[in-house]
Amino acid sequence: MLEFLLLPSIIIFILSFIKSDKVNIPLAFVSFLLVLPVTKLLLMPKPYAILGDYLVADKLSTYVLFVSSVVAIGVALALLTLHKHVKVSKHAYRRFYRFFAIFWVGLIFSILSNHMGIYWIGLELATLSTVYMIRTNHTDAAHKEAWNYMIVGAIAISLILFGIILIYASAKPILGEDAMNFSLLLEHAKEIKSPFLFELGFAITTLGMFVKMGFFPMNLWLSNIERASFYPVAALFSGILESAIIIGFFRFSKIAMVINYDQLFVFVFAYTILTIFIVSFLIFRAKDFIRLFSLSGIEHMALIAMFWTSGAPFAALLHFGAHAFLKPALFLSTGVLESNGKYKIAGALRGYKGFKGSLFWFLVSLFLLAIISLPPSPMFFSELYGFGSMVSVAKESHHLLAMIGAILLLLLFLALIFYKFIEIYQSMKYEGEEGEKKVYLSELLSLVIFAVATASLILPQVMSYIEGIA
Amino acid sequence: MMVDFFIGLFLASLITAIFTTRLFRLLLWYSFNSLTLGILALLIGFKIDDGAMIITGIVTIIIKAVAIPYFLKSFSQKFHFVRQITPNVQTHHAIMLVPAILVFTFYLSQPVTNMMSGNTNYVAVSISSLFLSLMLMMEHKNVAPKIIGFLSIENSLFLLGITATNGMPMLVELGIFFDLLMAIIVINLLFHREGFQGAKDA
Amino acid sequence: MIAYIFTIVVLLLIAPLLLSFIKSLKMFLLFKRPASLLQGYRNFSKLMHKETIISKEASSITRYAPFLVLSPLLVIMFFLPPVVHGAFYVSFVDAFTITGLIALSTFFLMLLGLDSASAFGGMGSSREAFISALVEPAMVLTVFSVSMMAGDLGVAQAAVNLSEHFPKEHMASFLFAGISFFILLLAENGRIPIDNPETHLELTMVHEAMILDITGVYLAIIETAASVKFVIFASLFVSLFIPFGLQFSVPIAIAIFIVKLFAVAFVVGFLEVNMAKLRLFKVPNLLGIAIVFAFLSLITFYVLGA
Repeated sequence: MLEFLLLPSIIIFILSFIKSDKVNIPLAFVSFLLVLPVTKLLLMPKPYAILGDYLVADKLSTYVLFVSSVVAIGVALALLTLHKHVKVSKHAYRRFYRFFAIFWVGLIFSILSNHMGIYWIGLELATLSTVYMIRTNHTDAAHKEAWNYMIVGAIAISLILFGIILIYASAKPILGEDAMNFSLLLEHAKEIKSPFLFELGFAITTLGMFVKMGFFPMNLWLSNIERASFYPVAALFSGILESAIIIGFFRFSKIAMVINYDQLFVFVFAYTILTIFIVSFLIFRAKDFIRLFSLSGIEHMALIAMFWTSGAPFAALLHFGAHAFLKPALFLSTGVLESNGKYKIAGALRGYKGFKGSLFWFLVSLFLLAIISLPPSPMFFSELYGFGSMVSVAKESHHLLAMIGAILLLLLFLALIFYKFIEIYQSMKYEGEEGEKKVYLSELLSLVIFAVATASLILPQVMSYIEGIA
Repeated sequence: MMVDFFIGLFLASLITAIFTTRLFRLLLWYSFNSLTLGILALLIGFKIDDGAMIITGIVTIIIKAVAIPYFLKSFSQKFHFVRQITPNVQTHHAIMLVPAILVFTFYLSQPVTNMMSGNTNYVAVSISSLFLSLMLMMEHKNVAPKIIGFLSIENSLFLLGITATNGMPMLVELGIFFDLLMAIIVINLLFHREGFQGAKDA
Repeated sequence: MIAYIFTIVVLLLIAPLLLSFIKSLKMFLLFKRPASLLQGYRNFSKLMHKETIISKEASSITRYAPFLVLSPLLVIMFFLPPVVHGAFYVSFVDAFTITGLIALSTFFLMLLGLDSASAFGGMGSSREAFISALVEPAMVLTVFSVSMMAGDLGVAQAAVNLSEHFPKEHMASFLFAGISFFILLLAENGRIPIDNPETHLELTMVHEAMILDITGVYLAIIETAASVKFVIFASLFVSLFIPFGLQFSVPIAIAIFIVKLFAVAFVVGFLEVNMAKLRLFKVPNLLGIAIVFAFLSLITFYVLGA
C-alpha cells in the first residue's frame, strides 16, 4: 500500500527532471492521480497497518489525507494557468513540482504516522520542501520570506521536537522504545509516572505547532510569506500543510486529555482566544486579499483547536474539512481577483463576462460568504456544534459563567471579522471601476471541485462518516 | 566523569560561538560542538551498551562535525559570503545576558530534572544550550550564522535526546539526520541567489 | 620544609627560562632562528652591569617602585601550593590575598609608569589599570569556584585537596574555571591577545609603555618581576587545574611539575603564534568571556552540582 501511496510523488519527482516545457501537462495529470491511492485507503477497513506499527491508516488520518489530496488536485488544476496571471518561467513549474513531490511524501508520513518521531520527520520534510516552493517566485521579497520561513519554521519545528523528546522521556520508563507510539501512549497514558513532564512536553509541542500555524505571538509571518509567494503555494499552505500540523495537535491533545484535561483546556483556550482577539483586529486592518485570507485561516485554525479540546471532535473535523476546501479555493481565486493589482479590493468582483465569468464570481461570492459561516455553509453547523459542546463542557465543570463570557467574547471577535468580510464583499461587488478580467477553464474547474467538495460535507452520509471518526 | 567533561566542552564551545565575530571561526566552533556531542553519544552508548547510540555517535561525528561545516564553508566561498559577522547584541550586553540565560534555564529545568532518573545535569545543560542557540540565532542579522544557530538548536535537542531518554529510537535519529541533509540541500538552493549583496541584507 | 624552599628557588630560577622558552618557541614556529633559551639570564646580567639613568622629572617613587613591584610577587611565591605531596605549605592564604598582592604589584608598576612624566608612561598605566580592573573580578570568581570544589578557601589547601580528591563529579564546572583562568593568565601577563610583549609600537603596547624610561638595574628588576608573575600564574594554573603527579618522590614530582609548567608555556606560545593581538577596546570582550566562564563555573557548581 505504501508503494502505491508514494508512487505518484515518485513519478512527479522523476518527470520534473525532464528538461522540456511540455512536461507540465503530464506533471499536473500525475498530480491528479494522488487522490486514487488515498481513495482506495478510504474504502479499506480501518485501522489498516501500512507499515507495521509505524504508519497506520485510521479513520482520522484517512479523512485528513483525503481532504488534502482533493486540495492537491485543485491546486494542480489552478497551476496550469498560473503563468497567465503572474510572471513565472516554465522552468519554475518543474522545480515547483519537484518539491511538491517531496512535500507530498513528507505529508503522507506525517499524516499517516502512528509514531511521534515519524510524524516529526514527515513534518520537517514537508516544511523544508515548502521553503523552496516559496522561492519559485523570483522576487526579492519571496527570497527574503523563504529565508524567514526557513528560520521561523526551523524554530517552530525544533520546539515540536523538544516537546516530543520530553514526552518520550516521560513515557519511556513504562513503554520503553515504544513510547513514541501514539496509540500505545494513549492506552497507557494513565500510567505515566511523571505527568508534569508530559504536560511540559505537550505544552512545548503545542507551542511549536501554534507558532507554525501563525498563532498569537507570530501572527503576521505566515501571511507575509503567503503574500510573497505565488497563490497556489499559499493554497497549499492553508489547505495541506496546516492539516498536517493540526492532525498532530489532534493526536497529542488526545493523550493530554487523558492525563490532565483541565490544563490542556485552559492552555488551549487562553491561547486561542488571545489569537482570535489579535487576528480579528488584524483582519480589520487587512488591505489585500492574501493577507486577509491568511489571517482568517489563523482564526479558523484557532477555532478548530478550540472545538477539538472542548470535546467536540465532530465540530472540529467538520470545520477542518470546510476550511481546508474553502480557503485554498479563495487563495486560488485571488489569481483572477488581483489581476487589476495587488491592493485593489474595490471592484475585484466586477467585469466578468460570459458564462465562465459569471460562474466565477458566483462561486467566489459563495466561498466568501461560506468562510464567514453563513447558514448553508458547513462552517455554520460546525460552529453551532462547537459552541454547543463548549457550553456542555462548562456545565460539568461549574465554570458556566466564564465559558459563556468567553463565547460572547469570541462572538464579538467573529462579528468583527464578519463585518469586515461583508464590507470587503460589498466593495468588491459595488465599488471601483469595471475592469475586464479573464477566467480560465482550469481554475474554474478547480473552484467547482472545491465547491462540490464543500457542499458534499453537509450530505448526511459524509456527516455520519465524520461522526464515526470522532 | 568524562561525560561531565565533554558536556562542559559542549556548553563552552557554544558560548564561545556566541561571542565569535568571524564566520569560519564560528564554523569551527560548531564543528567542535558537534564533535563533543558525537563523543558524548559514543561514551554514553558504550556505558549503557546501546548499539544504536554508538552508531548515531559515529554518524554525528561524520555528518555534523565534518561534512556540514565543510559544505557550509565551501558554500560561503562559492557564494562569497560576508565573513565578518558582528552580532547585534553587543558583547558587553551578551556578557550579562549569557549568565542570566544560564541561571534562568538552570532553575527553569529544575522541576524537569527532578523527575528524571539520572543524568539530571545533562538535561539542564541541554535546555540551556537550546536557549543559547536561540540567542545565537537572534543576535545575528546575516543568514549564515542563523543557519549555524539552527544547527546548534538541532545539536542541543540531540543532546537532550541522548541524555534525557538514553537515546531515541534508531529510526527517528536517522530520520533527523536525513532531514538535516535535506535542510542543507535546501539551504544550498536558497544560497544560489544569495550573491555578494544578498548575504549582507537578507 | 626543604622541598618548600627548594621549590621556591627552582621557580625563581626557571622564571626567566620560561619566558625565553616561549620566545624561542614562537621564533621556531615562525621559521626564524630561535633565540637561545638562556637569553633571559643573559639579559638580566647585561642589565645588572648597565648604568642606571633616571629621568630628571622622576621623583623618588621611581627609585622605590621597582622593588615594590617585585616584592609582593616574591611574597606570593611563598604562598604557592606545594609541588610535592607532604611538603610544607601556607594553607590559610585565600584568593583575595593573592589577587590583592598582585594588584599591589600592578599598582606600583602603574605609579612607575606615571612617574617618569612621559606621554607613553601615562598611556601604558591607564591601559594597565583598565585591564587589571577587568581581570580581578574574574580572578576572584574563578579561584573561588575552584576552592568551592576543593572544599577549602585557602588556595594552597585547595590545591592539595584537589590533588587528593580530584573533583570527578564536578568536571564541567572545573573545566569552565580552567578556561577562565587560562584567559586570565594570558591577560595578566600581557600575552598576545591582550598585549604584545615584544613590540614597542605605541598604539598597542601596555606593559612596555610603562617601563620605557627605566634602565639598568631597575629594568632588570621589573623584567624579573614580569617573569616571576608568569611563573606564579603558571604554577597556580598547574596546581589547581592539572593536580596530578604529586604523590611521587621529591625529584620526580618536581620534574613533573616543571614539565607541566613548560607545557603551559608551550600552549601560551602556540596560541600567540596563531592569534592576532586584539584591539584595546576589544579586550573587555575577551575578559568578559573569562567572567562569563567563571560565573558559569560557579553556577554550574551550585545549581547543578556538576
